[in-house]
Amino acid sequence: MAAVKETIDAVAALEKYAHGFTSDIEQEFAPRGLNADIVRFISEKKGEPEWMLEWRLAAYERWLAMEEPTWAAVKYEPVDYQDLFYYAAPKQKEGPKSLDEVDPEILEIYKKLGIPLKEQEVLAGVQGAPRVAVDAVFDSVSVVTTFKEELAKVGVIFMPISEALREYPELVRQYLGSVVPVSDNYFAALNSAVFSDGSFVYIPPGVRCPMELSTYFRINASQTGQFERTLIIADKGSYVSYLEGCTAPMRDENQLHAAVVEIVALDDAEVKYSTVQNWYPGDAEGKGGIYNFVTKRADCRGDRSKVSWTQVETGSAVTWKYPSCILKGDDSSGEFYSIAITNGHQQADTGTKMIHLGKNTKSRIIAKAVSAGKSDSTYRGLVSVHPKATGVRNFTQCDSLLIGKECGSHTIPYIEARNGSAQLEHEATTTRLSDDQLFYAQQRGLSQEEAVALLVNGFVRDVMQKLPMEFAVEAQKLVAISLEGSVG
Amino acid sequence: MSAAFNIDLTDAESFPSRRNEAWKYSDLKRWLREAPQPSPTAAVGAPGPFYDLGGDAIVFANGRAVGVTDFIASGEQTLRLRYISDAVGTGHSAGARVAVRAGAKLLLLETHEGAGSAYVAHNTLELDVAAGAEVTRVVLVEEPEDAISVSEAHVKVEAGGVYRQTIIATGAKLQRIETRLSHFAQGAHVQADGLYLLNGSRHTDLTSVVRHMEHDGTTSQLIKGVARDTARGVFQGKIVVERGADGTDARMGHHALIASERAEIDAKPELIIYADDVQCAHGNTVGTLDESALFYMEQRGIPAEEARALLTQAFLIEVIDRIEHEGAREVAREWLTARL
Repeated sequence: MAAVKETIDAVAALEKYAHGFTSDIEQEFAPRGLNADIVRFISEKKGEPEWMLEWRLAAYERWLAMEEPTWAAVKYEPVDYQDLFYYAAPKQKEGPKSLDEVDPEILEIYKKLGIPLKEQEVLAGVQGAPRVAVDAVFDSVSVVTTFKEELAKVGVIFMPISEALREYPELVRQYLGSVVPVSDNYFAALNSAVFSDGSFVYIPPGVRCPMELSTYFRINASQTGQFERTLIIADKGSYVSYLEGCTAPMRDENQLHAAVVEIVALDDAEVKYSTVQNWYPGDAEGKGGIYNFVTKRADCRGDRSKVSWTQVETGSAVTWKYPSCILKGDDSSGEFYSIAITNGHQQADTGTKMIHLGKNTKSRIIAKAVSAGKSDSTYRGLVSVHPKATGVRNFTQCDSLLIGKECGSHTIPYIEARNGSAQLEHEATTTRLSDDQLFYAQQRGLSQEEAVALLVNGFVRDVMQKLPMEFAVEAQKLVAISLEGSVG
Repeated sequence: MSAAFNIDLTDAESFPSRRNEAWKYSDLKRWLREAPQPSPTAAVGAPGPFYDLGGDAIVFANGRAVGVTDFIASGEQTLRLRYISDAVGTGHSAGARVAVRAGAKLLLLETHEGAGSAYVAHNTLELDVAAGAEVTRVVLVEEPEDAISVSEAHVKVEAGGVYRQTIIATGAKLQRIETRLSHFAQGAHVQADGLYLLNGSRHTDLTSVVRHMEHDGTTSQLIKGVARDTARGVFQGKIVVERGADGTDARMGHHALIASERAEIDAKPELIIYADDVQCAHGNTVGTLDESALFYMEQRGIPAEEARALLTQAFLIEVIDRIEHEGAREVAREWLTARL
């Protein structure tokens, strides 16, 4: 009997992660390990200007002198940085001009993932369906970016950062590393040295980006790290909504993903950044899965600028991620909406930092954490008010839900107020799913798992509503899938 | 991180700095680079604020015990625990141990009476609350603006025990008042309140770690504080619910007023939870006095300064009102009012 149950559980675990397939793509790798030559190799591969190579080498030097942080409430096998491939790219002809030149197998992968890469396909869809421009990053390189021409008509630059470094070197140089400095932290330094691709977005003054922009990250090769770098610049009075999605194959090794996202918002600009993070979380025993060590930061440099982070974190074996806002401009505002769902042996230490520097700056934090199985989830956040920031307002709400006896949920908020006119509020609650509600739902004919999914979706609803439509649907399904097998 | 720091005043190596997460806002090493010279003997002097409530006494003068250092309570008793410091630029440590027998009731009145200047004091208290015992601890801390003091209380509450504490602090150059408390067995009830009122460049750090190790324990914590001038108030509260400590009900609230342009409040209320059948919540607010209430009072002819004092008192007094023992509550109320 026990064996039968074990088999059922094993099969259930296999089916849980729908994006776990691997694809056999002919790829080229940089030699294993990390040294200055690898940094040079990546820079050369990308045909980067000399200053960029120097920038990378300086970052590498800094990284060597730094120590891996240990303060997060996560435990993991140490990463052997010399045992990774830092560059893996599908073999292809130099710079495909159109989709026809892209390896059809890669296109097949994105099709399988449900990511529309063919513009005509998108256009041929249901009338009035939202159009989304996609930059597809496959391991270390961007394979295709859609709607580039149409976006260029309104002056929006949306392209792989490697391409931007060649076409708009001055623009990249001005902003790269200005939000997340090279030596900001261990993983940011590593990323600065070896990042191979990512997206670059520039929205000119007064332009409201005509469609949502999105990047879809896929790790495919084994034993590789993915280090992407995203830079978004919203010039005065512009608006953009940006989406990010990620998946990886199921492998029994741990893979490293250390990304950096930098956002600059000038006067009156608004950026909405949404993430649905669904990296492979490892199997039921906690074997394999992605280490997601990410630095995301927005600089509200201009007056009345606004940045809003929304994240749905369901994947990764270990997550270490704090999308933050530096509220420098007067009357600027920052928002952080987060859902973190952990199951199995997943560990997540995530939250945000709101640094209030400007006058009358506002921030709002809504974080919902759901822990199930043997997982651990931590909200770690900082709201800091500097002496010159008068009239600051912050509201923070952290709610945690525990499902089962073996999981953990922690809340660690820091408040540092150094101005008398600040008004800061924080509240947090931790509870479990209500037996009464579960009973009620089951009584109405729902299975236990459906009832849990329904209640959890209700619990995270405040944040779901902040997601763009096309992500919200996917995220809702993810919530149900992530919690499969968490009860009973 | 949750282990207590073993501070030894004779060994500068043992002083925590802001690199130690639990001492992030109270950098002892910054103010105390070297181990201080030992303090000379001091006289006991005036009888202390709780004298009129009678009972037994443990008294330390510059770390030296005047009589006993240990106390075992049975039946219904009152104990005054006095840490007297009267030194200039030197340091001293004191340690007391109190055990409360099963079913006993103890009123523990603790005072930190500081005179002199720039001294360093390190006090520890070990307190065991046996099954069904009840302890009310009220702590008044008054020290010179340039003193450094670290006080630690290690409290263990057994099954069905009741422990209530109220700490009232006015700060020093660096003042850390730490409570490490464990619900050692099921069904204990804990109230861990505190308030701070800081003027000038004073600093106080109320830190507490409450561990629920067994089921059905309750913890209620209310901390309120006011920081004026360039003062800095710190609250670090941690509630840990261990695996199996189901039925825990823990609530924590920290509310602070910044009453000047240059004062600072740092707060870190933590919940670390490993059991699912629990009710835990914390609330944390930092703000300033309500301008419309001030305006209303001024309109009614109350001078601005007085209106501020009244509103501040109304804000803080909630903590005093929660003191269970009437006599101790009235002493605390007068003590606070005199310092508003």
